[in-house]
Amino acid sequence: MKEYTLLALASVAVVTAADRFLNVRLLVRKDFWIFTVVMSGCMLLTNGYLTWRPVVLYGEAFFMTLRLGTIPIEDFFYGFSLVSLTIILWEYFKQKEREKGG
Amino acid sequence: MKGEYLILLAAVLFFPLVRSRDRNLSLYRHTGALLKSIGLVCALFWSWDVAATARGHWSFNPEYVLGISLLGVPVEEWLFFIVVAFVSVFTWESTQYFLGRKK
Repeated sequence: MKEYTLLALASVAVVTAADRFLNVRLLVRKDFWIFTVVMSGCMLLTNGYLTWRPVVLYGEAFFMTLRLGTIPIEDFFYGFSLVSLTIILWEYFKQKEREKGG
Repeated sequence: MKGEYLILLAAVLFFPLVRSRDRNLSLYRHTGALLKSIGLVCALFWSWDVAATARGHWSFNPEYVLGISLLGVPVEEWLFFIVVAFVSVFTWESTQYFLGRKK
């Protein structure tokens, strides 16, 4: 498997594990998946622009070279990890603040 | 145009930043959590980005960036993660609000 492909998939596994380990359980919530659909729309626009222009150029040796429009498939996994981890940590730290504040 | 990546980031950030003080959202009621989550995500994805850029997984078109780089990564790309993390939290909190789950 190509390096970026492997890293993007591995990041999703790590984020899924973090969700369980931190006991946030975001990934089993319906509202999270509604949010993910919303964010995917935003991602199609912005990453679509970045890859269409292109502002970002991808090394042929490191990804599958399969694209949805102009966006490499790996970017969807990468983007999912980036956005999901942010919300998992946000929910985690928010919960900790609440516990501390009583 | 050299400022294009930066303009895109500003365009993405504009609405969430302006609306982030909305009293229906709890963004600034948890400033510590906001800074910690954005900070940690950035630390992780900056590391990945520096390594991936150095390795050649991706590169940046000099036509559309200002040309100021740190560790081989354009300043716009450093900002990208801060913007995406902030916009993600804003959108998540907004989704919660519109779904009727004020937290």
